[in-house]
Amino acid sequence: MTREKTMTGLRLICAFLVTAALAACSGGGPSTVQNPVTSAPPVADYNGPPAQNADVQAFKLNLWQNIKDSNRCGGCHNAGGQTPQFARNDDINAAYTAANTVVNLSQPDQSRMVQKVGGGHNCWLASASACADTLTVWIRNWAGASATGGKQIELQEPSIKEVGASKTFPESSASFASTVYPVLHDANKGNCVRCHSSTAGNPISPFFASNDVDEAYAAAKAKINLDLPQNSRFVVRLRDEFHNCWAPNGGGTDCAASATVMQNAIQAFANSIPVSNVDPNLVISKALTLYDGTVAAGGNRFDNNVIALYEFKTGTGTVAYDTSGVEPALNLDLTSPDMWVGGWGINIKAGQKAKGSTAASKKLADMIKATGEFTVEAWMAPADVVQEDAYAITYSGGNDARNFTLAQRAYQYQAMVRASNTDANGMPAFLTKDADRDAQASLQHVVLTYDPVKGRHLYVNGVDTGDPDPKGSGGSLADWDDSFALLFGNETTSMRQWKGLLKLVAIHNRALTLEQIQQNFAAGVGERYFLLFSVSHLVPVPKAYVMFEASQLDSYAYLFNKPTFISLDPTADPGTFPLKGMRIGVNGAEAKVGQTYATLDTTVGGANYDKATGQLLSNVGAVIGLEKGPLSDEFFLSFEQIGGNSHPHPDPDGQVSTAPVVDPDPPPARWGMRTFDELNATYARLTGVSPNTTSVAATYANVKQQLPTVESIDAFLASQQTGIAQLAIAYCNAMVNDNTLRTQFYGSVDPNASSADASVRTAIINSVQAKIIGSTSTQPDSTFVASSLTTMFDGLSGASAATAMKAACAAALGSAATTVQ
Amino acid sequence: MKQQNSQVSCAVALGIALAFVAQIAAAGPSERALAKRMYDAIAGVPPDETTLDAMEAKIPSDAVGAALMATDDPAFYNVTLKNLVTPWTNRDQTVFAPLNDYTATIIGMVRDNKPFNTVLSADILYTVNDSTLPPVSNNNNDHYEQAEAKNVDLKAKLVETQQSAVYGTPAAATAGVITTRAASAAFFIAGTNRAMFRFTMLNHLCHDLETVHDTTRPPDRIRQDVSRSPGGDSRLFLNNCIGCHSGMDPMAQAFAYYNYDGMDATAGKMVYTPGVVQAKYFINSDNFKPGFVTPDDSWENRWRHGQNTVLGWKPGMPGSGNGAKSLGDELANSDAFAECQVQKVFKTVCFRAPESNADRATVKTIASDFKSGGYNLRRVFAETAASCK
Repeated sequence: MTREKTMTGLRLICAFLVTAALAACSGGGPSTVQNPVTSAPPVADYNGPPAQNADVQAFKLNLWQNIKDSNRCGGCHNAGGQTPQFARNDDINAAYTAANTVVNLSQPDQSRMVQKVGGGHNCWLASASACADTLTVWIRNWAGASATGGKQIELQEPSIKEVGASKTFPESSASFASTVYPVLHDANKGNCVRCHSSTAGNPISPFFASNDVDEAYAAAKAKINLDLPQNSRFVVRLRDEFHNCWAPNGGGTDCAASATVMQNAIQAFANSIPVSNVDPNLVISKALTLYDGTVAAGGNRFDNNVIALYEFKTGTGTVAYDTSGVEPALNLDLTSPDMWVGGWGINIKAGQKAKGSTAASKKLADMIKATGEFTVEAWMAPADVVQEDAYAITYSGGNDARNFTLAQRAYQYQAMVRASNTDANGMPAFLTKDADRDAQASLQHVVLTYDPVKGRHLYVNGVDTGDPDPKGSGGSLADWDDSFALLFGNETTSMRQWKGLLKLVAIHNRALTLEQIQQNFAAGVGERYFLLFSVSHLVPVPKAYVMFEASQLDSYAYLFNKPTFISLDPTADPGTFPLKGMRIGVNGAEAKVGQTYATLDTTVGGANYDKATGQLLSNVGAVIGLEKGPLSDEFFLSFEQIGGNSHPHPDPDGQVSTAPVVDPDPPPARWGMRTFDELNATYARLTGVSPNTTSVAATYANVKQQLPTVESIDAFLASQQTGIAQLAIAYCNAMVNDNTLRTQFYGSVDPNASSADASVRTAIINSVQAKIIGSTSTQPDSTFVASSLTTMFDGLSGASAATAMKAACAAALGSAATTVQ
Repeated sequence: MKQQNSQVSCAVALGIALAFVAQIAAAGPSERALAKRMYDAIAGVPPDETTLDAMEAKIPSDAVGAALMATDDPAFYNVTLKNLVTPWTNRDQTVFAPLNDYTATIIGMVRDNKPFNTVLSADILYTVNDSTLPPVSNNNNDHYEQAEAKNVDLKAKLVETQQSAVYGTPAAATAGVITTRAASAAFFIAGTNRAMFRFTMLNHLCHDLETVHDTTRPPDRIRQDVSRSPGGDSRLFLNNCIGCHSGMDPMAQAFAYYNYDGMDATAGKMVYTPGVVQAKYFINSDNFKPGFVTPDDSWENRWRHGQNTVLGWKPGMPGSGNGAKSLGDELANSDAFAECQVQKVFKTVCFRAPESNADRATVKTIASDFKSGGYNLRRVFAETAASCK
């Protein structure tokens, strides 16, 4: 079959070609076409007929060379072996013909060969998805420019599934603890605890057998199917995949019996949980799980020069596979299996990193030195914006020796590259402007490029940060050390921890252009699907769907984006009908939080509807919490109104609490302190001294913030009393020193008289009593005031009346008679 | 000798102060004592004997009328009101900030018995009529700062004018104290303008965002700068962030055309760009690309449904609109606004927050009177002081 026939022969039932404008990964790429990077060595052991044409030669170099070995496809699909014999070593032209029956050069990831290996068929790595991705790269390299990857997405009509009654995991782990957990955790009942516990000798994630039942419960949810216990991953793993079974069977183990024990336990757990039926009054679509959708992620990245690629799809184990297809694969060892996060990615926490071997890392030095330029591209989410000296991606040999490093310094990104014009540590460092705050604790597309002309350049989310290389230009990379290792999240010394999420890392041996970087930014990252919720039963439109671009946002939520009404019948005309109040349902009930489209109120059809692309209903995305996991969570849509169907969603009002409060005991004080300005105004009022008087104003400025600022008497401090005394003395001093004011306050008392004089004392006391203390019953008793002031006068040792006036005035002003209100 | 005398006086003052506290604690209120207490609480300074006599005589028949006499004291404006309002006008909520147009405007509105429910929407401004002061400017605070430094009698010297006349802000863009220079310098400066919404809620509805947290509101108008997976954990967004942002962002959109051009409150002015959304509404747009992109200054009160109906939104109002003026009107006509003003006054004149069942009932009653009586805040002071037991 020719390539053209292969392409034209791809007919999916009811498939619909969606134009480039529809898909997120639909942006047009740059027109420049470069030869893909290959590392194919000379075919020394091939002695068959030469390749008949260039395409056969391309097949030979890009695919055949990588799969012909006996430990890969060549072990079976060789000459005389199993058909199709696409890895045969005797005739490259015959191998080419056979290979064409199992590849799709227009969409390499849809090739039969890829799907077969991705499904677990004799993958040569521990991760089937890594094998599939690597094969995809080889086939794409063979196809060259003819591969379209994900540029065009063929939407597949999903099978119609009613929204089922379903069970949802309870909040409490109590029921799990008494049913499933004993099988997982008790070494006498099962084998799981030997590995799947964080305290096991060789801990393997997920830790559903943890000593902490809550931790175990959280990890086990994704492995349990409450509605179909027999389909639980726990059961399938034992029954069908014979994974570490334990039930004795003669000299071996009985996997069927082990699976039965597990299934019974899950059944018991499921029996304890009531079924949640979907509300029959709701106007709902048909149901889907995430994986019922059409894969939307993908192939529109510019990867022609990629030499190491990490998409973190594996999800388990301790190896992050390099799926660039460039041999040798530079796989990275993870510190811990708990680094994986949902939706493809690894989360590097304190003490963790991903590290490649120096031997495999050597390909970076070899291939980058050959071009003299490179690009480090990452989809990353820093855990915070305070970490410094945090090396996210580094190809280095210690704290002081490196080939390149992409690092974070709080809000800045930093890049060090060893070159002829920098030192062996890549210094001076390139640094983005602090004020620009380029680094954010959210998912970012960060690209470091290096070429001999411009040197280091950094792009964040497809935008050039505009920061120049401190050296002004680049240099030669000839001095790169090929004994260094590639690491994510730390230095080889473990002294440069970077914390955060990595969802994709690619290393290219060319400096990507801005256009290519923007293409890769537009392609997005992670696992994405087009979900087609059937609404044909609600509106008179054939093959009518509300389509979402859905993905797993992180380990705890899904992202639903770009809701679009579309009919997969390209001839259908939807007319016009209202669509209002759309909500996303999960496992039989509308999600309580995150209903972005609850406010939607639009009309579908007419000029807004395009038969090829449908009608976009909203530009805004919705984040919906994960419940059972992407395998099991079943989604549906509910509508307040769609066409002639409606079901209002009343929004209950809040209830004002009418419950009586407990009265404070003892009740709070009914008295308060005068605050700073009140004291100042009070003293000015009582003494007649203007607050603008220089000496008074200066004292007030000094003590203002020392005076009480709140009325609460409980907050009163001794230091505040000191400030009060200073201010009181300042006012009294100014008043007594001013003849007019003194006379107004103290009358005709001679300031030069002796304070020992009884008549002077009486006059002073009376004035203070009248002008400051006042006559209110709550004020201090006059006898007590007179007695206290007399005692004070006795202590003045016959000083002048003026001194006694100041002292009496200040004592009264600074006392509770004025400071308390 | 002078220093020695001061030390003596200080020591004696301390000793007498403590002794006087003990004396006062033992006393019980009488009508004269109540009069002094009301006057002290309202004006911040003690009454003279004449006023005290008049208040004492009035209390049996009209305690509120007696308390209103205290609001004639200039200290009520220069001290009590100024110190009540000043913390609302800055982010640090400090009472030591200088006098400004926000504070002066509220003082003037109280003096002139202006309907206080227009405080967040009116085209109003109070300036100080004193030729020795620098002229009021939309570019600095010198006018007010110097008025305070000179202890100008605000009761006597404040004059009413309009922001549109003095600052040149379009009348339709004025929104009471929200669009004063001081509020703009504090809450429109840098950031995302959410601060203006948060502090308006805090200062005028007595609710910080934690207390109105409602995760069930639709999040469709949460802007792009709010990460939906902070630190890689969307649970944080779904359980926390969404609770405030789903209600706040649709309302803070009312401020989309406002900004403050200046480094701090000392120099700079409010900027209003009708029809053009400020760039601050689009910062960090890559944090969540499918987030809401602000097209204009339309706002919507999502809290008119759900648990925050307890804030008592006024029926008959649309609950949505364009710009700060209509949002200010929405907020200032809620029950929460009225109760908040009473609570703040209660705390000022009763020296404690309303804590007991009786206190709460008092606040409810006075708030009801406040609404039905034309939103007269001066009377709230009097009613609260009279009912403070």
